[in-house]
Amino acid sequence: MCLHNFNSQVVERHNKPEVEVRSSKELLMTAVVVSRNEKEKVLIEPSINSIRISISIKQADDIERILCHKFMRFMMMRAENFIILRRKPVQGYDISFLITNFHTEQMFKHKLVDFVIHFMEEIDKEISEMKLAVNARARECAMEYLKRF
Amino acid sequence: MAKNTFSSEFRNIDVDQYNEDNYKDDDGEPQSPPIGVDEATIVSLMNAGNHADALKLLLANAPVASKGKNEQAKDMALNLVLKVLLSVNKSQMDQIISSLDKTQLDVLMKYIYRGFERPSEGSSAILLIWHEKVYNAGGVGCIVRVLTDRKRV
Repeated sequence: MCLHNFNSQVVERHNKPEVEVRSSKELLMTAVVVSRNEKEKVLIEPSINSIRISISIKQADDIERILCHKFMRFMMMRAENFIILRRKPVQGYDISFLITNFHTEQMFKHKLVDFVIHFMEEIDKEISEMKLAVNARARECAMEYLKRF
Repeated sequence: MAKNTFSSEFRNIDVDQYNEDNYKDDDGEPQSPPIGVDEATIVSLMNAGNHADALKLLLANAPVASKGKNEQAKDMALNLVLKVLLSVNKSQMDQIISSLDKTQLDVLMKYIYRGFERPSEGSSAILLIWHEKVYNAGGVGCIVRVLTDRKRV
C-alpha cells in the first residue's frame, strides 16, 4: 500500500482521491480481482493516492441475503466512525472501503491491512450466527403460538 | 463586434484534450503483437502431458498491450492459458514454476489475476494454489508489477 499525497491535476488547490474521480488514466493502476468462487470475491482498485477495496459476501439463501443487506446498511450508515468505510458499495459488491494517503499517514499500514482481513473473517461468522438466532427465535415464537391449538 | 462573436460553437470544444502535456497511453506501439500460438499446438502438447512447454510457449507469445488494444487476441490467449493452468496438478506446479524466469513469472501472475475475474466451477481454488506458489517464487514485487504495468495481458 504505497500511497502518496497528490494534488488534483484538474482543479487547483483541490486534493481528491483519484480512484473515485477517475479523471486521468495515468494515475490509475490495474484493478485486480481475487475470488474464492463465483459468489465470493474481492475487487482491489489502486491509484496514486487512494485504494478502493470492494467485497462481495457469500449469500446462499434469501435469509442470508436480507441479513447481509441489513448488516451492511447498518455499518455503512455509521461509516464516519469506521473512517475508511465507504457509504455506498461499488456496483456489484456488498461493501467497499476507501483508503487514502491521509489515512495511511495517520494510521499504521499493517494495522489497516489486518483490519480489513479481520473484517472479512468476522463477517461470515456474524452472518451465520445471526441466521441461527433468527431461526431459533422463529421456532420459539411458533411453538408458543401453536400451543394454543 | 457583434458579427464575429455571433457563433458560440467554440464553447463546445474541450480545450484540455489539445493540451500538449496530456498523457498518451500508447506511445510507440505501431507493431501489433505476434498473433500468438495457435490452439492446435497447445492441445497437442497438453495431450502429450507436456504442460510445462505449453505454458512456456503461451507465456513467451503473450499479447501484452495497453488497455483497449488487441482485446480479441488477449481473450483467446487467456482461454488457452487458463486451460493449461487448470489441467496441471499440484505436484507439477513447483517444477514448472522453478523453470520460469522473472518476466515469465510476471506474465503468469497477470494471467492468474485475469483468471480470477472469471470464476468457474473449481477454477478459483486451483488459481489460488498457483497464486501462492508464484508469490513464493516471485515475491511482493511480482504482484506490484502486475498492478503498475500499463501493458495489460
